[in-house]
Amino acid sequence: MDHHIDPLLCIIPPHMLKNIAEKGTDAQKRAALAALSASARIREQRTAFIKAMVVKVPAAISGKHRAVYSANNLTSLPGVLMRDEGAPPSADVAVNEAYDGSGAMYDLYMDVYQRNSLDGNGLRLNSTVHYDKNYDNAFWNGEQMVYGDGDGQFFNRFTISIDVIGHELTHGVTQYTSNLDYRNQPGALNESFSDIFGSLVKQRTKGQTADQADWLIGAELLTMNVRGVALRSMKAPGTAYNDPVLGKDPQPAHMKDYVTTLEDNGGVHINSGIPNHAFYVMAVEMGGFAWEKAGRIWYVAARDDFNNTTNFQSAANLTYKVAGELYGVGSIEQMAVAKGWSEVGITVGVQPQPQPQPDGCLAAPVAFIRSLFSGKS
Amino acid sequence: MKIDFVRSGGFAGLRLAVNVDTQDLPDAEAALLEKLIRDSGFFDLAEHIKSPSGGADRFEYRLTVSEGGRSHTVTVSEAAVPEGLRPLIDRLTEMAKGL
Ligand SMILES: [Zn+2]
Repeated sequence: MDHHIDPLLCIIPPHMLKNIAEKGTDAQKRAALAALSASARIREQRTAFIKAMVVKVPAAISGKHRAVYSANNLTSLPGVLMRDEGAPPSADVAVNEAYDGSGAMYDLYMDVYQRNSLDGNGLRLNSTVHYDKNYDNAFWNGEQMVYGDGDGQFFNRFTISIDVIGHELTHGVTQYTSNLDYRNQPGALNESFSDIFGSLVKQRTKGQTADQADWLIGAELLTMNVRGVALRSMKAPGTAYNDPVLGKDPQPAHMKDYVTTLEDNGGVHINSGIPNHAFYVMAVEMGGFAWEKAGRIWYVAARDDFNNTTNFQSAANLTYKVAGELYGVGSIEQMAVAKGWSEVGITVGVQPQPQPQPDGCLAAPVAFIRSLFSGKS
Repeated sequence: MKIDFVRSGGFAGLRLAVNVDTQDLPDAEAALLEKLIRDSGFFDLAEHIKSPSGGADRFEYRLTVSEGGRSHTVTVSEAAVPEGLRPLIDRLTEMAKGL
């Protein structure tokens, strides 16, 4: 079974746990805890739940607060503090890139979308550079951004591309908003969101309009040894690289080429090419700075209307709806959204197909959910 | 003993894979892999090992070991690799990179 997911994890997705922890009545909290206690198998989720309840103390800090750490080529996090908010530049270029990049990203969310950090409440932006040795990756661990130095042969340090920083930070925004499942279509949308806002922070930093931007992800990341221009291309998914060692960019640009795979959580870094390209088309169609209209439509739709199971068709319908609300029904912007989705093979307005449920979710007992909210267990 | 190893995901989304038949390896190399598999308690590991902490862009490892009449596949997130399995994954990652 390749898609096994614990039934309890299906019933109580993390955003809901958090909601209950923050807003639930005492009875609801008790019921949720009691239900979770029922099985030793879900000990980890219970721990996360308890943590969520404890960590609900609101961060008093408001505004931009960045902290950059170094793991000194080990793997413990966050590592040693190298530069705190307001401190002068470090001698370490990766530290400064993480600091400046997360600052530019904070500004994009704050200045354009009036969002105060990842959680909307001034959460401190923690980054760690020099993670592990020759580490060819960057990630969001649920609490902070982490960057490897790259192997030097194929990859440079991961802070070198500001869109990589924007990508990781946006995973944090997604976690605090739609909380899209990191699997299959919701996972590919989660990835796409990170690429989109990663590209937008790069475009805003460079002052580029949609037609001036390169729409590449990780352009500076690849060394001279790699035959390719970047890791991904939103303008032309599937064309970013074609290298004897790394292989060929596997991203599709259209639903007819959607990749079904068990790897990479169901191809989340592959099928993100489809919504990535839809966004590119609509942004160019709208013209001007992509973060102003296209970015706003996607941000607002994800913040207010997406949930953890939103798939491509739902995303198309919801971005279309939000474009109508923000710019008017039948507006150029709303037509552009329809065109973007249409070019990747998705027609707005079509009823989303029920998503195939991962194993275990079908068995979710409705009574359990009811008991959670009635306070009985 | 046959080992199929795939690393997928990560920010780059690059696939890294190697298929090994220990019969084709030098004795010392084969013995090392067999020891790492034994030490990890591979056949007793759960089929899916996920991290409870969420996050994104971690690597995903998928290992299948076939030996005698038995075969077992483990899919594990980088964030949840058991200590005992780490040396095997590190070695297979090197082999997949041609090291
Ligand atoms: Zn990502």
